[in-house]
Amino acid sequence: MTTLSLTVNGRQVNTEIDPRVNLADFLRDRLSLKGTHLGCEHGACGACTVLMDGMPIRSCITMAASCEGVEITTVEGYDDDPLMARLREAFREEHALQCGYCTPGMLATAYDIVSRMDRADENEIRAELAGCVCRCTGYRGIVRAIERCIAEKSA
Amino acid sequence: MTRKDTGVGASLLRREDARFLEGRGRFIGDIEIPGMLDVAFLRSPLAHARIASIDTPEDADGRVFTAADLSDVKLVPPASKVPGHRIVAPPPMASNRARYVGEIVAACIAPTRAEAEDLVETLAPDFEMLPVIASMDDALSEDGPRLYDDWDSNVSMETGFDSGIDEIIANAPVKVTRVLDMARQAMVPLEGKGVLAYWSERDDQLVVYSSTQSPHQIRTALCEALGLQQRQIRVIAPDVGGGFGYKAILHPEEVIVAALALKTGQPLRWLEDRFEHLTAGANAREHRYEMNAYADDRGRVLAIDAKLTTDGGAYSVWPHTNGFDAIQASGILTGPYDIGGYRVKTQTVVTNKPPLSPYRAVARPGACFAIECTMDAVARAVGRDPAEVRLDNLVKPEAMPYKAITGKEYDSGDYPACLRRAMEMVAEAPKTPAPGRLLGTGYAIYTEHTAVSTSTISHIGIPMMPGFEQAAALMQPDGSLELRVGVQSHGQGMETTMAQIASQVLGMEPDRVVLRHGDTGLSPFSTGTYASRAIVMTGGAVAAACDKISVKLREIAAHLMQCEPSAVRLEDGLLKGPSATMTIADAAETWHFRPYELPDDVLRDGLEVTGGYRPDGDKGPFAYAAHAATVSVDPELGTVELIDYVAVDDCGTRVNPMIVDGQVLGGVVQGIGTGLFEESPFDDQGQPLATTFADYSLPTAAETPMIRLDHSETQSPYTRFGVKGVGEGGAIAPPAAVINAINDALRPLGAELCAVPATPKRVLGAIFDAQDRAKADLETAK
Repeated sequence: MTTLSLTVNGRQVNTEIDPRVNLADFLRDRLSLKGTHLGCEHGACGACTVLMDGMPIRSCITMAASCEGVEITTVEGYDDDPLMARLREAFREEHALQCGYCTPGMLATAYDIVSRMDRADENEIRAELAGCVCRCTGYRGIVRAIERCIAEKSA
Repeated sequence: MTRKDTGVGASLLRREDARFLEGRGRFIGDIEIPGMLDVAFLRSPLAHARIASIDTPEDADGRVFTAADLSDVKLVPPASKVPGHRIVAPPPMASNRARYVGEIVAACIAPTRAEAEDLVETLAPDFEMLPVIASMDDALSEDGPRLYDDWDSNVSMETGFDSGIDEIIANAPVKVTRVLDMARQAMVPLEGKGVLAYWSERDDQLVVYSSTQSPHQIRTALCEALGLQQRQIRVIAPDVGGGFGYKAILHPEEVIVAALALKTGQPLRWLEDRFEHLTAGANAREHRYEMNAYADDRGRVLAIDAKLTTDGGAYSVWPHTNGFDAIQASGILTGPYDIGGYRVKTQTVVTNKPPLSPYRAVARPGACFAIECTMDAVARAVGRDPAEVRLDNLVKPEAMPYKAITGKEYDSGDYPACLRRAMEMVAEAPKTPAPGRLLGTGYAIYTEHTAVSTSTISHIGIPMMPGFEQAAALMQPDGSLELRVGVQSHGQGMETTMAQIASQVLGMEPDRVVLRHGDTGLSPFSTGTYASRAIVMTGGAVAAACDKISVKLREIAAHLMQCEPSAVRLEDGLLKGPSATMTIADAAETWHFRPYELPDDVLRDGLEVTGGYRPDGDKGPFAYAAHAATVSVDPELGTVELIDYVAVDDCGTRVNPMIVDGQVLGGVVQGIGTGLFEESPFDDQGQPLATTFADYSLPTAAETPMIRLDHSETQSPYTRFGVKGVGEGGAIAPPAAVINAINDALRPLGAELCAVPATPKRVLGAIFDAQDRAKADLETAK
């Protein structure tokens, strides 16, 4: 066992963990934050994407033990965040989710894209999304929701 | 009465979205039962092996289980009425022989999955390799190995049909022959399969949470396997992260986890990981079509003579068998065309691969690929535009309802208008090729028998034939409504659309309606969500149940208003009599809480009803669509960029147009996966070669263009509201449209591709073949 201190969704967590536990399992099993979903467990599908110190990372290939001192934001952690509120609304209006399994990872990725980019055309958004698999929607709604939120930034 | 704002036809935003957007969905992996243990499996590393022995650690008693521990579990073989169809049910665990890589050999139980996997590592199995049947060709080899020692061949099913085409063949001026291959795939719902089971003493029930599309089906199969009464198992499908058919069959893991939960008395859980899915779950498609088309000089197709081979894998899945792809493909291979002669032979072979299972649209993407690529080949042979040749061959609207040569009745629609609309949309957005690239556009059009009905498949005789679909409607004392259905919504948005249907019939606000689904403990029986059936069948049943509620509410109102029930109208959620108006809540509250205001005998059987539904004449409606793909091909690298995609579909009345768009778009992108990217190849020892997403390529946002959609709405004459199914359709045409587009692009090179997915290797192969042919021609000319 090894000790671990980090911040998750604004809350300080001090605990002991098995060094082989990945961040996704730590969040899900130890902190009961079930909104982080596992789609491939080899860093290729994007479903488990969370923010680490504001940057999107794959929690399935991030060892929890390597997260000492960092700040993690999961889908449960955006309570008063206006951009996430707007993204959620846009995702709903653009029918950007069906089964909902990829959605938490998509939202984290979308949050990062909209935060970073002041303008982006459709192809740029599609390229930015290339690390996230959605098996249901065909991506159109996701791209459009992000497009809308970026456009609103400069409006 | 209608409600345009919230009823049938409204693009209502989805009720289910909020919980998923906030990470509050409840998927199988999110459920925790006190005392729950995780299961990991030892799976066969060899495609064909005798299991000589499995040594287990001495202290592993009660934590490691093999087939011997499940000797009291009965096999659940799917039935078939197809003459000579040889069915072998997959054993939950292989006992003495493993027949594909990934077949389960032992189960290990531990507090966490990681520890269960550690335990798997301590097992010492002794496998003796057996000769491998790694392909259709291996299976059909005269002197090759046999998968089953007592079989005289590796053919598990043969079917055929012949309308009598010898005369047409003898006289047709044009004959076109093609061999078309569709690769094996995995279905890849983003959430893997999962199951959790525990015995509930209080309920005298085994409670089984399963990531399934068909809870009642799974209950039936588990009861058969475990020797329990159906009242003794409750199957609950929580939120399900995509299904696509993968979760519409009985999985061996469901049987094992349920059986071991009974045996050990402990709650047990197994969650499929992606490696397991891409190996043991590589179970879809893999068809080969040998197509012969006979046509006149203008490309009017007079007859199709086809031979279809499917790779059925090692066993027959329950309930569909491994012959379903072949049966369905042969039944729809003439497509939306008016073709007067048809002969087909199918054979399903067994191999050392996972058992073939129905994937979104089952065999239709293969059949569409075969007939549509053949149609383009015919057009090339007669020197005409493929779209024009299609227009000449399509069933005309005035011929509807049209009885196809396969016996199917295409109920309604205007196929040529649909294709013409797609052609217009292509013309509206002309593309120019990038330097050094070749541009091509290809079309594909299909008709799809949705909500497959009893009469359609009764001759196949598989278990669990769909008959009437049922829905329960429970009017609550406050006038809100609970709907309970046995189908399971896993992305289709039924929590929204079924509420819209209730709103349409009863005039209620949809947010006064809740849908409970996917739980055998709550709902009437259903065979489940598959075959693009839910909006037709369950939607019809919800409407039928709401009709009954409507009659009851009007009866209550008539008593309170002192008039005849026939004088009470239900409009905008209000019960309107000649002299008074009351709300649904008034009527419901009166019956429940103030019965003294009503005569003693009013509504003896209450305000909770079950409605049943099947389409008129048991006729599943035919939806259809025309797709057009435009590609840019790099002839040096063989890479294909999809630069435009158009889909024009007709699924009858659209209950929620936004959701219909979503179903079509998602289907199209999965079809693009089949056409361009996705493949589960196996080597000659039956080893799966695509075991991660690095090898198994999925279409992402970056590989797909902004798909352009249009719709027409030809109401089915046979269904409630005129709806037709739409869940699978989008996935049918893309492989054909993409290949036709590539072949249009490759035309200047004289190259033609006849296989999907169109990987760079295959595209270059087609180009090199054409170059070799040209060289050979040159040599001959010399």
